[in-house]
Amino acid sequence: MLPGIEPLNPLLLLPAQKLTLGCPVLDRLLRGGLPVGSVTEIAGESAAGKTQLCLQLLLAALLPPSRGGLSAASLFIHSEFPFPIRRLHALSSSSSAADSLDHIFVAAAHSPDDLLSLLATADGLLARPPTHLPVRLIVVDSIAALFRSDFDNNPKDLKKRSFLFFKIAAKLKEQARRFGSVVVVTNQVVDVVGSEEGANGQRVGNYASLWSSGRRVCPALGLSWANCVNTRLFLSRKDEVADDGGSSRTRRWMQVVFAPHLPEASCEFVIVREGVSGIEPQRVSWTIAGHATGKRLAMASLDLTSIAL
Amino acid sequence: MSETSRFRSFEGGHGALKGAQTAWDMLSGEQMQKHITTGCEELDAILGGGIHCKEVTEVGGVPGIGKTQLGYVYPFQLRIVLKGSEVATEAYTKPYRIQLAVNVQIPVECGGLGGKAIYIDTEGSFMVERAHQIAEGCISDLLDNTAHRLKDFPACPEILQPNSFLANIFYFRICSYTEQIATINYLEKFLEEQKDVKIIVVDSITFHFRQDFDDLALRTRVLGGMSLKLMRFAKKYSLAVVLLNQVTTKFVEGSFHLTLALGDTWSHACTNRIILYWNGNDRHAYIDKSPSLRSATTPFLITGKGIRNATSHCKRVRMM
Repeated sequence: MLPGIEPLNPLLLLPAQKLTLGCPVLDRLLRGGLPVGSVTEIAGESAAGKTQLCLQLLLAALLPPSRGGLSAASLFIHSEFPFPIRRLHALSSSSSAADSLDHIFVAAAHSPDDLLSLLATADGLLARPPTHLPVRLIVVDSIAALFRSDFDNNPKDLKKRSFLFFKIAAKLKEQARRFGSVVVVTNQVVDVVGSEEGANGQRVGNYASLWSSGRRVCPALGLSWANCVNTRLFLSRKDEVADDGGSSRTRRWMQVVFAPHLPEASCEFVIVREGVSGIEPQRVSWTIAGHATGKRLAMASLDLTSIAL
Repeated sequence: MSETSRFRSFEGGHGALKGAQTAWDMLSGEQMQKHITTGCEELDAILGGGIHCKEVTEVGGVPGIGKTQLGYVYPFQLRIVLKGSEVATEAYTKPYRIQLAVNVQIPVECGGLGGKAIYIDTEGSFMVERAHQIAEGCISDLLDNTAHRLKDFPACPEILQPNSFLANIFYFRICSYTEQIATINYLEKFLEEQKDVKIIVVDSITFHFRQDFDDLALRTRVLGGMSLKLMRFAKKYSLAVVLLNQVTTKFVEGSFHLTLALGDTWSHACTNRIILYWNGNDRHAYIDKSPSLRSATTPFLITGKGIRNATSHCKRVRMM
């Protein structure tokens, strides 16, 4: 008989294990952090903070469970270059663990097939970790960069592309399940042209439209990739010029687009030298990129306060 | 053979045509049939009282629309309904509201005859904390609706605990299509031992079959075999089967259309088909295919407690 075919009592899965984002405010938004055993996508335009958040997760995974971590090493697969090693080093020097960089394995993927073979060999790394810590966080930054070139916009190539999506997602989910790991995949966005909802005229998730830098966008790779992830988070940014007219600053938000365990919710965050951190909801003036309606904002802030309670 | 003797041999259920049943027998069987509710009365109403036992129901929609939420709900509501069914079957032909009332009288008797559920998770979307939350929602609704009745019965608190609801789910986590096929095959034996399983939820039937299947005809055959098995389980053990499906875009005559995954042949595999979709900012459910139900659509809400009516009155249900 195949392993895993015996039924499990769901009570054994309680309490649900989570990986902290390294910030209590953002953790509250996600009810404790990113869930173990499933795939979370972080989508956003460039410079929205995706990679910053991923780097912070690598360090958070090393924390002991008492501080929301997994006491685990991590695997970071990047397809965007170069790997931000200086930033990681800066972040790690402010964290408590001295040898944290020893427990972060970095690999580069240049194509979808490259990623697949990398994930296949990663089984060995996950099953027999080279250090005393298990490897329980896998980050792919970003999935969209792998698919940017090789495929045409015709039915045959789109079909091939979506086969690959499902193959990659199935492998990541299998590893999430077998090794109890958190899987994070980042995604880019594409502009939405015209008045139709989403990319194919189809709304996906809690928001009828997503905005970033004043543009209407949606996560890249279309509907079939959206079927491959369990949770989708969206990061957006907006540059604001201060009242005195001189300096401009960037405001950023995280939104829950869909998740099996979370309601619609959002939170503003900042990126500072020490990393990514959320802003307490009461201090947020609710203008999500300046486009959401008043009703929606009221609901979102209600959600947050109930989570806080 | 005379007219009478031929009639008699059929009545006995054997003879010329083994296992044959008269339409009359089938009708009375149908009227005895149990439904499993969602907690959203409007959705139950367009389904004719809820999801039907002995049938395979497919639920499809875009990511984030609430398929999995619906998958969570059934195993719990099931516990409630089944407890009622043993006592007052005739109540089930009456409107669904009565069901709830009946359902509640029974936990009090504490027979512990609640049904069990099989949840086959192929995508990793089963979040036990959310399931726990929905179980709590079910229980609190149950108590609210029937507080005035409950005082007539001795309390039975241990049955009305979210954990005891969760413990009655057999959870299978599947990581490949071979495992999925093997699990469905294994259910054959499993159901033989676990006769009180009353629902099988597969979330989703699709995921592992959308990878590189070079031979699409093979995929169709494998899926066909699986759906036949599930249909047989549904009949044999009178349980409900709920299959969640994804949506995909299909290329027809130069443009892309939205459709449920797995192709045209698959669409024959299920008795009923419900499609969940966005209408503005509202979630709607639509009966796309059913041999016995009218085509209808209704809004619904996903709340902390589970699936609920979008409106306080049932006026927004639209029959077509």
